Amino acid sequence: MDSVTLSLGLLLPWALGVAALLAARDAARPLAAPGEITWLLGAGYLAGALLLTFWMRALSLAGVRFGAAAIALPLLAVAGALLILAWRRGGGARSIGAMREAFAPPAVTGLARAFWWGLLAWIALRFALLALEVASRPLFPWEAWIGWATKARVWFEFGRITEFVGAREWFAATGNAWFDASPANPATLPLLQVWASIALGNWDDALMNWPWWQIAVALTLAVYGGLRRLGATSLEALVGAYFVASLPLANAHVALAGYADLPLAAYFAVAVLAFLQWAGTRTLRDAALAACFAAACPLIKIVGAVWLLALLPGVTVALAPRQGRKLVAIALGVIAAALVVLAQTSFVVAGHPLHLDFAPAWTSFSDSLFLLGNWNLLWYGVIGAALLAWRQSLTPPLLPLAAIVATGLFLVSILLFFPGSAQWLADAPGVDRAMLHLAPVLVVFMVLAFRAFDARWTAAHPLPIAPDAASATAATQR
Amino acid sequence: MSPATIGLASFGGALLLLLLGYVVLTAPGAWFPAASPQSWGPRDASLTRGSGAIDGDVLMIDAAEPGSTAVLSIKADIRSTDYRAIAWRLANVPEQADVRMFWRSDYAPAKMNSVPVTVAAGHLLPVDVSREATWIGRITGLALAIRTTGAQPVQFLGVTAKPRGALELLHDRAGEWLAFESWTGVSMNTITGGAAVQDLPLPFLLAAAAALAMLAALLLLRRFSPIASLPLALGAIFVAAWIVADLRWEWNLARQAIATRDQYGGKDWQGKHLAAEDGKLFAFIENVRAKLPPAPARIFVVAEAHYFRDRAAYHLYPHNVHFEPYRDMLPPSAALRAGDYLVVYLRRGIQYDAKAQRLRFPDGSTLAAEVQLAEAGGALFAIR
Repeated sequence: MDSVTLSLGLLLPWALGVAALLAARDAARPLAAPGEITWLLGAGYLAGALLLTFWMRALSLAGVRFGAAAIALPLLAVAGALLILAWRRGGGARSIGAMREAFAPPAVTGLARAFWWGLLAWIALRFALLALEVASRPLFPWEAWIGWATKARVWFEFGRITEFVGAREWFAATGNAWFDASPANPATLPLLQVWASIALGNWDDALMNWPWWQIAVALTLAVYGGLRRLGATSLEALVGAYFVASLPLANAHVALAGYADLPLAAYFAVAVLAFLQWAGTRTLRDAALAACFAAACPLIKIVGAVWLLALLPGVTVALAPRQGRKLVAIALGVIAAALVVLAQTSFVVAGHPLHLDFAPAWTSFSDSLFLLGNWNLLWYGVIGAALLAWRQSLTPPLLPLAAIVATGLFLVSILLFFPGSAQWLADAPGVDRAMLHLAPVLVVFMVLAFRAFDARWTAAHPLPIAPDAASATAATQR
Repeated sequence: MSPATIGLASFGGALLLLLLGYVVLTAPGAWFPAASPQSWGPRDASLTRGSGAIDGDVLMIDAAEPGSTAVLSIKADIRSTDYRAIAWRLANVPEQADVRMFWRSDYAPAKMNSVPVTVAAGHLLPVDVSREATWIGRITGLALAIRTTGAQPVQFLGVTAKPRGALELLHDRAGEWLAFESWTGVSMNTITGGAAVQDLPLPFLLAAAAALAMLAALLLLRRFSPIASLPLALGAIFVAAWIVADLRWEWNLARQAIATRDQYGGKDWQGKHLAAEDGKLFAFIENVRAKLPPAPARIFVVAEAHYFRDRAAYHLYPHNVHFEPYRDMLPPSAALRAGDYLVVYLRRGIQYDAKAQRLRFPDGSTLAAEVQLAEAGGALFAIR
C-alpha cells in the first residue's frame, strides 16, 4: 500500500507539470512534431516539481498543515482543469494520435534499428540500476545530511516550513528556529523530499529521494525532445539523451541522492533548451518558458543564480549576433582582466579583502577531465565538436549555445584558477561539481555542433550522383 | 562497406594497435615469459619496525609519530631475471610519505639495495626493477620502509613479483579498469573509473584510439567510399568509444547495485540505518531519542570526529539540534540552559561528577546536569 501511495504521489508533480505545459503551449504547433511529447514529459516533470513546492510554500504561509489531501487534492484538480483546457485547445483525438506517433520507433532499418533499440534498452537498464540504489540506500552523502535533508525531516514532522538560521541567530533564538550547516539552502529540494515522505506515510530517508531519479529521467527525456525540436534526427537525439543519462558523475548524484547539483544541472539544461527553441521561434510563449526554467535555477541551489547569468550572453548574441558577439567577448575580457587585477592587488572593501590567489590545481583538473571516469568521453567530445564546428559556432543558429557554453566554461575556469572565489558564494561547489551543472548543456552543444559540421561537410562534398539518377534528373528538368 | 562499418572497424583496429604499442613500450623483457607471478600476503610479512596487527586479510600498520618509520619484510626466493616488477598493494599511504623498497640478493648478501616508491592516491605504483643494476642473482628478501607523515593506519594487502610479460601487462590493465569502485565519501566529486591508480587510464586510451580511427577512416573513405559520409564514420567511432567506456561503468554500477541490495535489501528505513556504516551510532541515537521528550527539544551534539558529530545531529532531527559542522568545538557552556540536552559521543575532555551531578568542560566551567543515558562511547545529559 505504501508503495502505491508513494508511486501516486511521485506521479503527481509529473502529471501537474505536463498538464501545465500542455495548456500553456502553442496549440498551432502539432503535438506530433518531432520531440514534442518527450519534451513535454521531460520538462513537464521539472515544471510540476516546482509548482508542487510553490503550493507547499503557500500552504505553509497560510498555516495549513502539510498532508496528502491538502497538497494533492487541489493540485489534482488544477492538473485536471489544465488537461481539459489543453484537450479543448489541442483536440483530444489529435493528442492521442500524436502520442502514438511519438512513441513509434523511428523510420530506420537494419543496424540502425538494432542500435536504436539496443541503446533504449541500455538506458532503461541504467535507470533500473539507479532505481535499485535509490530505493535501497539510506541518505549517504555528507552535505545532504548536514544541510538539505535536515530541513526535510523537520518540515515533514511539523507539517510546515520552519525557519533555519545560522549559529549566532540560533543561540539568540528562543527555540523557534532550527540550525543546520547550510541554513540558506533553498526549500525546493527538501520540500520534494517532504512530499515523497507524506505520500509514503512516514519518514524514510531512502525512499524520499525518488525525485532525484525522476529528475534524471526527466532530464534524459527533455534532452531527447529538446534536440529533436532543434532539428536533430531521432538517432542523434537518442545518442545525446544517452550521453546525458550515462555520465558517471551524474549517475552518482542519482544513486547517492541528496545533493542539489544534478537537479540544478537539469533545470539549467532545460532552460537552455527552451531558450534555444525561443531563439528559433522568437515567440513570447517560448521566451516565458525559458525564463521560468532559468528563474528556477536559484530556487534549486543558490549558485544557480550564477548559471542564470551564463544565459545572458546567449540572449545577447541571439538578439544581435554580430554586435552581441563583440559585446560578450569584451565583457568576458573585462571580467578576466578584473580577476587578474584582483590576483595582483590586495584591495579591501568594507573590511572584506578582495584579493584572489591564482592557484589552479592543473593536475587534478586535467585528470578529472581526461583520465578519470567522471565523464566518460564528454570532454574529448566537446573539444572535438568545437574543433569540427568552430566556424559554425560563431554564427547562428549555433552561436547562442556556443556563447552560453563559453560563458559556462569561463565561470568554471574562475573556480579553477581562483579557488578562493568560492567564498563569494554561499554554496559554491568544487570544480567537478560545477562542471556537472554544465555537463548536460555540453552534451547538447556536442550534438548540435556535430550536426552543424555534418551539414557543412555534406554541402562541401556532395554525394556523386549515379548515372541513372543523373539521367533521370536531366529528363525531369527537361 | 558502409561508412559506419568503416568507422567501427577503424576504431577496433586502432584500439588493438594502441594496445600493441603499449606492450612494446612497457614490456621490459620477453613477451611470453616462463615464470608466473609470485605473491605474498599479509601473513607472509613481518613488521621488523613499527607495530600492527592482521585484521582479516589485511595487515594494519599502526599510525606512528610523524617521521617514524615502519618496515615490512618478506622472505623471498626468486630469480631476478624472471621478475621485472614488484607491485606492493597498500592502501591509505599518506601522499607525503617517504616510501622505499629494499631487497637483498645472494649475489651480495650483505648489501641492502633500495629504490624509492611513488605514492599515488594512497597506493603505491609498481616498482620497475628491470633496469636496476643490483637486481641480480636470486632475490632472497624484499622489504618496504614507510616513513609516515600522517596519522592514519596503513593497510598492507600483499605484494606480487611480476615477470611483466605481454599478457600479464594487458591482464593487469584490464584488472585496473574493471576493479570494483564502491561508493565512498568522495563519489559525489570523483569517479575514479576502476582502480585508484592506473597505468593506462581507459578514457585516454579510448580517446586516443578514436582519434587514430578517425584519421584512418578519413583515409579509407577517400579511397573506398564517398567522402561525404565522413561525419557518419566519425560519429560512429565516437559513439563506439563512449559505449566502451560506459560498459565499464555499467558493469561497476551493476556490482554496486548487488552490494547495496545485499546490505540494505528488505529492511525498513531504521533497519537500513542499523546496517549502514554508522549503524552503532544510529543505535545509540535511537536510545537517546527514547529518553528525550517529544520534539523539539534543544540538543547540543559534541564529538571529536566531524562525521560522528554531524551524523549524530542528523539522526536527532526533528529535535532542535546544534552541532559544529566543521570544527571540533564545544558550545560555550553559558549557552546551555536548563531544559537543554547534551549528547556526547566519542569526545574526550568532558567529565561528569556523578556525586555532584555536574558536567565539567575542558575550560574548567561546570554545569548542573543529570545523566539520562550512558553507553560505551556516548552519553546523554539533561541540563538542569
